Amino acid sequence: MLTFASSDRSRTRVMKPPVKERFKTNIKDKECRRYFWVVLAGKMIGLATVGALIFAFLHFFGAHAGATTPTDPTVMTGQDHLSVNTQIQVNAINTTWTLITAFLVFFMQAGFMFLEAGFARSRETVNVLLECVVDTCLCMLLFWAFGFAFMFGPGNGIIGHTWFFLNNPPTTYPGTGVAFYAFVLFQYAFADTCSTVTSGAMVGRTGFVGDLIYSIGVSGFIYPILGHWVWGPGGWLGTWAHPVPFHDFAGSTVVHSVGGFVSLAGAMVLGPRIGRKFKRDGGGPLPPHDLTIAAVGAVILWFGWYGFNPGSTLSAIDYGGMARVALNTTLAASAGGLAAMFFLYPRFRKWDLGISCNGALAGLVAITCPCFWVNPFGAVCIGLVAGVVVVLGVDLLEHLRIDDPIGAWPVHGLAGIWGTISLGLFATGQYAASGPYGPSPDGFKGLFYGGGGKQLMVQVFGSFCMCAATFAVSFIMFKLIDMAGILRLDRDGELEGMDLYEHGTTAYHVEFGYGSTSMSPPSDDGVTVGSHKPVKTE
Amino acid sequence: MVHLVTAVIKPFKLEEVKDALKGIGIQGITVSEVKGYGRQGGHTETYRGSEYTVDFLPKVHVEVLCDTADVDKVVDAITEAARTGKIGDGKIWVTAVDRVVRVRTGERDLEAL
Repeated sequence: MLTFASSDRSRTRVMKPPVKERFKTNIKDKECRRYFWVVLAGKMIGLATVGALIFAFLHFFGAHAGATTPTDPTVMTGQDHLSVNTQIQVNAINTTWTLITAFLVFFMQAGFMFLEAGFARSRETVNVLLECVVDTCLCMLLFWAFGFAFMFGPGNGIIGHTWFFLNNPPTTYPGTGVAFYAFVLFQYAFADTCSTVTSGAMVGRTGFVGDLIYSIGVSGFIYPILGHWVWGPGGWLGTWAHPVPFHDFAGSTVVHSVGGFVSLAGAMVLGPRIGRKFKRDGGGPLPPHDLTIAAVGAVILWFGWYGFNPGSTLSAIDYGGMARVALNTTLAASAGGLAAMFFLYPRFRKWDLGISCNGALAGLVAITCPCFWVNPFGAVCIGLVAGVVVVLGVDLLEHLRIDDPIGAWPVHGLAGIWGTISLGLFATGQYAASGPYGPSPDGFKGLFYGGGGKQLMVQVFGSFCMCAATFAVSFIMFKLIDMAGILRLDRDGELEGMDLYEHGTTAYHVEFGYGSTSMSPPSDDGVTVGSHKPVKTE
Repeated sequence: MVHLVTAVIKPFKLEEVKDALKGIGIQGITVSEVKGYGRQGGHTETYRGSEYTVDFLPKVHVEVLCDTADVDKVVDAITEAARTGKIGDGKIWVTAVDRVVRVRTGERDLEAL
């Protein structure tokens, strides 16, 4: 836009007639002059707002606020297995172990992408894959900005409020001996797992904009804040019921039940995919498009779990605990896979691949909470029950007419509840907590090992609180997004397939000739699939 | 006499067409996934920021053998079920069939349907 100051010069210079003419007439017009000032004022207000926001950001999250960060480790209770005793220096081997396992947990994303894409129909493959990639990116930025602060920053029992944008970090995360950023990365990988689980039950009918918005809600707010209750310093569930606090070693409840129940709420608000008939209406699940990919995905997830559980010791010096956790994890997964397969066999006398994969995953989810405190026999029992639980969970969803294409709720939600409760039954009392320099000796016993029902009651209560809170909050969130009209894809898009409609391409192209494409538009009255607009012809 | 009704329809309309044909007593159909274009001339897709035209669209090819007396009924059923009113709904054509044989029994023509 030309300003008044430049107007004199513009008259003397040779200009293109239209601009000059327009300017000459406009400058005489009173309405036009008023419009100019209104636009200029609008721009100034916008600039001032941005400036104020930047100033406010620096004020709240910058050096001043960060200077009040408590550095005394005794105020922290840490992730609930961390014993807090002394001021601890950076421990190289523990930091290395935490980083390596963080990378392993991150690789679970590949497993989720394979599993979810394989179990989905081919028409929504691109959508599933993009959703996982976007979740991974989004979750990191949110975790850096405020997710980590909400979850692991010192605060009150409900929410943390220190280390926004990771400002003024200490050398190590208090009480662990692990370099602060390694701890952040490790916990980010967990958050990412949770946020990817949520998409599982919502495959095939969620609009991408709705997807982005609920992903922000889950990875930025629901997971970090609820996670703070158990793992955050001073979280109310983690400190409640002292001296028998709620325990969740690596996240059966914090990661998996939360993810599972968000996805259940999403599936309920969305409703089933078009054409999905349920068992009691004479139908069944829509068939998966690539079981090869799905099965490989399940095994990749299993591999990633060797970071998820053993890494949660945050300590390589506790070599006994690390090894015990790794072995228990494998035993439970194996028991779960077999239990699910054999439990389903009598129904149709068929050996089912899909349920075996989900059974193994259910075993992994279940052992995630108790893996540190149970012995190998306990791990096998926990896995066996988890395998049966997942089959019954699938049946329950079918009966309730809830469409969960991946089985996210039976695997993560239900097996997560079972795993959390199982600690109150199978804890042997030999191991208390994993510390930076080895385990502490005072343990707690579950019901089956003569410890009475106190721990069991605490586990049941904790699991109930977390699941109920997750379900309530996420149900409200999905309802609001749905009321805005962006949660569910419209009917045309769902029928033609999300990939073409939302993403402009399919995952699999049958190649005739040079790939059956040409860079020029068709000569006749072609259509754009998504919008039904004719392609412009030249 | 037996006629062959062939239809090329939108893939997501297959369920409705199948139900409609079952509804008028047709006992068997053959379907295949095919690709092609008609007057609509393909559609555009996007990939890594480029837009290009895919000349061949996925369609479903439906073949129905029926008694010549039922041909109009079959054609109407498919037309009604497969119609969206938008471009690319497909085509139906009818051809006379010389002979039909059921492989298992050797029955001929109408008995073989």
